[in-house]
Amino acid sequence: MANEPLPPFSSSVRLKYVKLGYQYLVNHILTFILIPIIVGISIELARVGPDEILSLLRFLNDLDLIYVMSTLFLVIIVGTVYFMSRPRPVYLVDYACFRPKPNFRVPFSTFLEHARLVPQFDERTVRFQVKILERSGLGEETCLPPANHYIPPTCSMAAARSEAELVIFSAIDELLNKTGMRPKNIDILIVNCSLFSPTPSLSAMIVNKYKLRSNILSFNLSGMGCSAGLISLDLARDLLQAHGNSNALVVSTEIITPNYYLGKERAMLLPNCLFRMGAAAVLLSNCRRERSRAKYRLTHVVRTHKGADDAAYRCVFQEQDSEGLTGINLSKDLMAIAGDALKSNITTMGPLVLPASEQLLFLFSLIARKVFKAKWKPYIPDFRLAFEHFCIHAGGRAVIDELQKNLQLSDQHVEASRMALHRFGNTSSSSLWYELNYIESKGRMKKGDRVWMIGFGSGFKCNSAVWKCLKTIKTPVDGPWSTSIHRYPVDVPAVVKVL
Amino acid sequence: MTVSVETRRSRVTVYAKSTAPSLTPVKPGKTHEFTALDHSMSRHSVHLVCYYRQEPTVTMTALKESLCDVLSYYPAMTGRLVKNEGDGCGEWMVKCNDAGVRMVDARADTTLDEFLASATDEEERQLAYWEDVGSDPYLWSPYCIQFTDFKDGSMAVGISCTHFHADPTCVAVFARAWSETHRRALVTCPPFFHPWAFYPRKNPVPSSPHLSEKSTIPPPLHPPAMSSVTFAFSASSVRQCLADLQLSNLSPFDALASLLWLRISSYKSASLGTAQLTLAVDCRRRMSAPLPLGFYGNALHFFGVKADLSSGWIHIASELNRHVSGIKEDDVWSSVEWLHERSKEKAFQMYGPELTCLAWDNVPVYNAEFSPGAIPVHVGCRIGNAQGEGLVVIMAGAPGEGEEARTVIVTLPTDLTAQIYRDEAILKYGPKIMFSPNI
Repeated sequence: MANEPLPPFSSSVRLKYVKLGYQYLVNHILTFILIPIIVGISIELARVGPDEILSLLRFLNDLDLIYVMSTLFLVIIVGTVYFMSRPRPVYLVDYACFRPKPNFRVPFSTFLEHARLVPQFDERTVRFQVKILERSGLGEETCLPPANHYIPPTCSMAAARSEAELVIFSAIDELLNKTGMRPKNIDILIVNCSLFSPTPSLSAMIVNKYKLRSNILSFNLSGMGCSAGLISLDLARDLLQAHGNSNALVVSTEIITPNYYLGKERAMLLPNCLFRMGAAAVLLSNCRRERSRAKYRLTHVVRTHKGADDAAYRCVFQEQDSEGLTGINLSKDLMAIAGDALKSNITTMGPLVLPASEQLLFLFSLIARKVFKAKWKPYIPDFRLAFEHFCIHAGGRAVIDELQKNLQLSDQHVEASRMALHRFGNTSSSSLWYELNYIESKGRMKKGDRVWMIGFGSGFKCNSAVWKCLKTIKTPVDGPWSTSIHRYPVDVPAVVKVL
Repeated sequence: MTVSVETRRSRVTVYAKSTAPSLTPVKPGKTHEFTALDHSMSRHSVHLVCYYRQEPTVTMTALKESLCDVLSYYPAMTGRLVKNEGDGCGEWMVKCNDAGVRMVDARADTTLDEFLASATDEEERQLAYWEDVGSDPYLWSPYCIQFTDFKDGSMAVGISCTHFHADPTCVAVFARAWSETHRRALVTCPPFFHPWAFYPRKNPVPSSPHLSEKSTIPPPLHPPAMSSVTFAFSASSVRQCLADLQLSNLSPFDALASLLWLRISSYKSASLGTAQLTLAVDCRRRMSAPLPLGFYGNALHFFGVKADLSSGWIHIASELNRHVSGIKEDDVWSSVEWLHERSKEKAFQMYGPELTCLAWDNVPVYNAEFSPGAIPVHVGCRIGNAQGEGLVVIMAGAPGEGEEARTVIVTLPTDLTAQIYRDEAILKYGPKIMFSPNI
């Protein structure tokens, strides 16, 4: 067996039971060790009569008060130091996603008709966009902002600001309504929007609209790509460690209006076809009193940056094409780089979340390959043991397929991502929240469930966040899926013939 | 003698074009076929303009949203034309591909009242933007809806479409359904898609001497430039007309149509004799299995009326009355079957080139209330491509003017129009003259 690759366990029933037994043994090793000890002590106590126990107690009484008090104080000091040095818990009180009005919807036929009517696109460009749209995994209900419905699109700064106001304010209004949070109680505000960065910033726009406090800690992250939502969460978490009893509002969005590419470079046309309108507002808190109504607790955030590698740095690159038009160039090896970034991320994430059984197996496999030079395939830990739900950034059909293959996930695990891509398109950093809402709307979120959010973005970055559900979410859920959840899941064909 | 015409710059500016989708996606594979009547009207277009005073709920944004809502009931409107491969009528059919309808945003540099008092024919035409089918019919929206904002917050909504999708009644019913959707009220006349309504009978008797004659008329080599003028007759003016006619069974339509026929003909030639007028009448309700008002498509019956114009106005009016009330259902079916027989041939001009009159006053058009109680201040209807001797459209007048009030839109060659709106016999009844040509 030493020289063969590990046999596929799942195909053999007997081996499956062996694996299950192994997992129970390793994950509950402490229980297995404690039980014999408890049994031993009980037998000992039973054997020794009550007199011996009483004599033991009298011995304790004879001890000096000073010894007793010192022991007690030592215990108290150790306990205090332990509790004070633990990180503050970060609770997700609630979140709200922007619900696009269906009159902003872009059916495939309208998208292509506009592409043909706009004089800047030639026939080759239009045919390429048709091909992308057919294989994109998007549905007929994705929405573009009002400016993109004009022939030609009116990409002015005023239109971009009005889109920003529309999506951000409606998400925040819904969040404040749901949580009953007064704007004056928000201590930290973090906004991330990669491609639109006006002065004053979008965070200043929010402070102005909701009349937030003058000593608010506000941050605006721009240029950080589709994984910026998780970067904002990480920043919020760090700030909540530094400031106790605080509430943080994190807003993730992407403004589409100024970024419609009107040129002929094919690699830059993909964002036109895939990016859609969306935003999410999340309320985080470290106040103890929010624990009772919080939905999730943030357990880990792991960030991986592959920017040191030139290929990774240039794989999603905003530049001007030969005609001087600005667009985002997606390189052909995007999938390979994404896979690589994911591997780095899960190497760091693994020890934090995987149960001991998987970690031991991974360790043995690693030792065997590196030390004993055995020709085994690298052991891919089974992340399904660590998480109940997966939210994979809905960057495109290819990204979801690639991750499903890499992590060996079933169709049900990636269903939230695929359906969010179909219903809302690629809404960039807020897509993870639409997917989370899908899982909740389907009634699958139970207390104690763990959720893994994976985001990819330009740079090239792969960021993960792990949440633990604090209470079972009851359906029906009032959110962006309210009007359409009953129609999902749908079977998304590989190629949709454009009507 | 050359007449120099000083044209005033138009106060209407179009500034943006966009597309409105329907709220609910259309099921893939849906199609809409045209009837023989639809195909026969393919050379024309319908333009309906409704004017509204300022209301808080009647804004461009809100109207665009309710338009998307009502389009969910009209999948045929959001579709595109494709070649008819099957054995249906005509060259085209609609593939309901959910592409949406074109919308145009415009503004007028004047207030609504000033516009209604002083606008020219050309300016009113600019309130209903229209583009003819270009090189690729698949990219062309058969409907175009224009929103024009006036300086005082009033709005004009112009709905234009090809005549082979819908006749004026259909467009008016759509406007009403849209207004009901905007108010969140029940849609009283939902669209009824039934292309088999005009399939030939079991024993067809295709015959239409009038239409056969029309089909043989060659199109004019140099169609004259046409212009229009609108006469708004109040109820008292119409009653005065009827009183002058002294016959008790005449309707306002008979009186006005005959008056205009007589006056137009007298300008065309000095001597009057027997003449023919083509009448177009909505026949939804005249079928023994009446079609609902929401029937989507064309249901206009064209027929000719001959009368001796020298016999006087009263005679002409009674002739018209006799013909209109005497339309037999068999005649309607015969002409439908005749059209069905030649449905694969190219359509010919239906409104014109001879003098034509559209009897549209039995259809209510002032019921498109976007805000409860706020009916349109004025409604105008034009037909595109009606070149030739002229077209007279007689439609219901504003309800505020009385039940017998009528709006008459006369489209004639430009030199005739200049004369008709100064005609003494017509001005005797005191109609309000609107949208006269720019002279």
